[in-house]
Amino acid sequence: MSNTEQTVYIVEDDEAVRDSLSLLLQSEGLPVSAYDRASRFLEDWRPDMAGCVVLDIRMPEMDGMELQEALVERGSDLPIIFVTGHGDVPLAVEAMRQGAVDFIEKPYHEEQLLEKIRTALSENAEQRQVREEKQVILDRLAELTPREREIMDRMIAGQANKVIAIELSISQRTVEIHRSRVMHKMGTHSLAQLVRMVLSVQDEA
Amino acid sequence: METAPREQQACVLLVDDNPQNLKVLYETLRDKGYQLLIANDGEKAIQLARRHQPEVILLDIMMPGMDGFEVCRTLRGDSTTALSAIIFLSALSDTEAKVKGFNMGGADYIGKPFQAQEVIARVDTQIRVIQLEREMQARNRQLESEQASILNAIFEGIYGLDLEGVITFANPAAAVITGAPQESVVGRTLQELNFSAPESEAHVERVLCRDGSPVLRRGVTMARADGGTFQAEYRAAPRFEGGELSGSVMVFRDITEELAQERALEETRELVAVQREQLAQASRLSVMGEMAAGFAHEINQPLTAITNYVSLVSRMMEKETLDQDALRQVLEKVSAQSHRASEVIRRIRQFVQKPASGKDAIDVARLLAESREFAEVDARNNAVSVTLSIPPHLPHAMGDAVQVQQVVLNLIRNALEASRMAGAQEPVEVRAEVLEKRVCIRVLDRGCGLPDDAEERLFQPFYSNKEEGMGIGLSLCRSLVNGQGGDIGFERREGGGTAFWFTLPLADPEHSEPLE
Repeated sequence: MSNTEQTVYIVEDDEAVRDSLSLLLQSEGLPVSAYDRASRFLEDWRPDMAGCVVLDIRMPEMDGMELQEALVERGSDLPIIFVTGHGDVPLAVEAMRQGAVDFIEKPYHEEQLLEKIRTALSENAEQRQVREEKQVILDRLAELTPREREIMDRMIAGQANKVIAIELSISQRTVEIHRSRVMHKMGTHSLAQLVRMVLSVQDEA
Repeated sequence: METAPREQQACVLLVDDNPQNLKVLYETLRDKGYQLLIANDGEKAIQLARRHQPEVILLDIMMPGMDGFEVCRTLRGDSTTALSAIIFLSALSDTEAKVKGFNMGGADYIGKPFQAQEVIARVDTQIRVIQLEREMQARNRQLESEQASILNAIFEGIYGLDLEGVITFANPAAAVITGAPQESVVGRTLQELNFSAPESEAHVERVLCRDGSPVLRRGVTMARADGGTFQAEYRAAPRFEGGELSGSVMVFRDITEELAQERALEETRELVAVQREQLAQASRLSVMGEMAAGFAHEINQPLTAITNYVSLVSRMMEKETLDQDALRQVLEKVSAQSHRASEVIRRIRQFVQKPASGKDAIDVARLLAESREFAEVDARNNAVSVTLSIPPHLPHAMGDAVQVQQVVLNLIRNALEASRMAGAQEPVEVRAEVLEKRVCIRVLDRGCGLPDDAEERLFQPFYSNKEEGMGIGLSLCRSLVNGQGGDIGFERREGGGTAFWFTLPLADPEHSEPLE
């Protein structure tokens, strides 16, 4: 996974704030995409968007909180940094409860904001990496035949080849062949690693 | 002979030196309803006349001693007897004697020998004449005393003046006011009595009404008899006799106390105005407090942008090659944002600061545009917009701009809140127009409307239909609008919502056309 695919999405109705922040982040070498309305960003949103959202909490029409809600509903995993005004602390707390990664009060030191953005981006990258790894495991699991899947489940449960052979009324040799195919398809030589892989996707499988 | 009913028996004095003549006269007039008196010489006649004041005296001319003419002269010269009608009796039939008798004040003449019917008729006529005369005099006396009592009862001083300013009449009140006894002022001039100061000369001229038209002056200094002065109000009207100006009547009163009361009232009014302004000021600060979060946001936006731009500039300067054009562009943006921040601060200051000058010509269109800018924060927070509809060339109004803006802002903020509570989509509309020589400003919303009892209570202090409301806003608005000489009110709109309006007087026409 590389950070170059990540974009900082700025959603801010104030033109000056939007423009200055865009230029600042660009000067830091961050790809930026800026929106003047929450609704426009929502129209553009795709599940494979990588990066983070810097979101103004107060905006006309759809405000920051409403956009957050809509994104959560659609299953977005983009981390959100809320930008709040003075006296918006209760709103910010509510936003955090809804799953925002962080918030920052205007006017802010750019170093603080950049730090929060970097943290959000690496968190997002990590999350994406974990998700991609899971996807690989899930893809491999999908390649197993029903018989192979059955034998793998017994392997993970700690049953010896001999026990598996007896309980399934097949030869121990056949168990061994299935077992090596499972290990091959799952791309591992170690039973311990296999166990870890399967457990990591248990929720999603 | 029929005689008119008389309250009192008329008295007739018969004077003749001849007893036979007296007897004939007595017999003739007896039983005719008269009180009859008899005298056989001039001296007795005068005595009786003085005692009984007879209506008619039948007086013989030719008498020994004092003759009829002499008796007549004496009676005429005495006020107690002067009114009796004298009918001369004489055998003299020459015209000279008759003329002499009439010249001496005789009322009639009867020649001897008497004809009874003639005597009765002439006496009766004289009695009727004299009784009518007496009635008229009594009536006149009554009228005179009524007039006098009216003039005496009047609280205002009254002078009758001739063409030269000499006082010919003064009522008792004039004496009380000026401290000069009534009898001492008649015959003296207004100049010496009441307008002795050199600067008062013009008043004498005015009071005399020489141009024939009445005058009224107030706050005039008049002198008192003791040398003191008082503040007076006077009216004077010309008097005419036979179409000719004959003088004037001056009516005046002491308004020293009245003026003092007026001053006290004026001071109280000023105090109320000061307190109103203080309340307005306090209310502006309180509104500012409510709007502080919004304004903090308004200022934070440009400050945030400036911070970002400045950070950007430091990064640009760290690079090996400096892109001067890009740098200049960013700095221009910084400058624009700092202006934006100071503009917000200017608006706050303008609203909160105490107005230095009171009423002035107000450009209503501009004031409303500024008020809308001012309400933008609230508009955003309530998610309702504000529109203006103002006709071109709206004339200027007269008032205190800061206070008027406060009223406008208060009404707009109420409308925004009502709209939000009702979830209204329609914007709050601010209209201005000229109605009946006034500028009428309306703020219309499609909000939650007003409770049924709003008419009675809405403009009362400490009444509010908002949970957090203090109930100061609208009562203050009314006080402020009334202070500008305008009115304020509201209407329930058909289809929901409320329209608040207030009026302001138009400024002088010279301010009416905005300068090009």
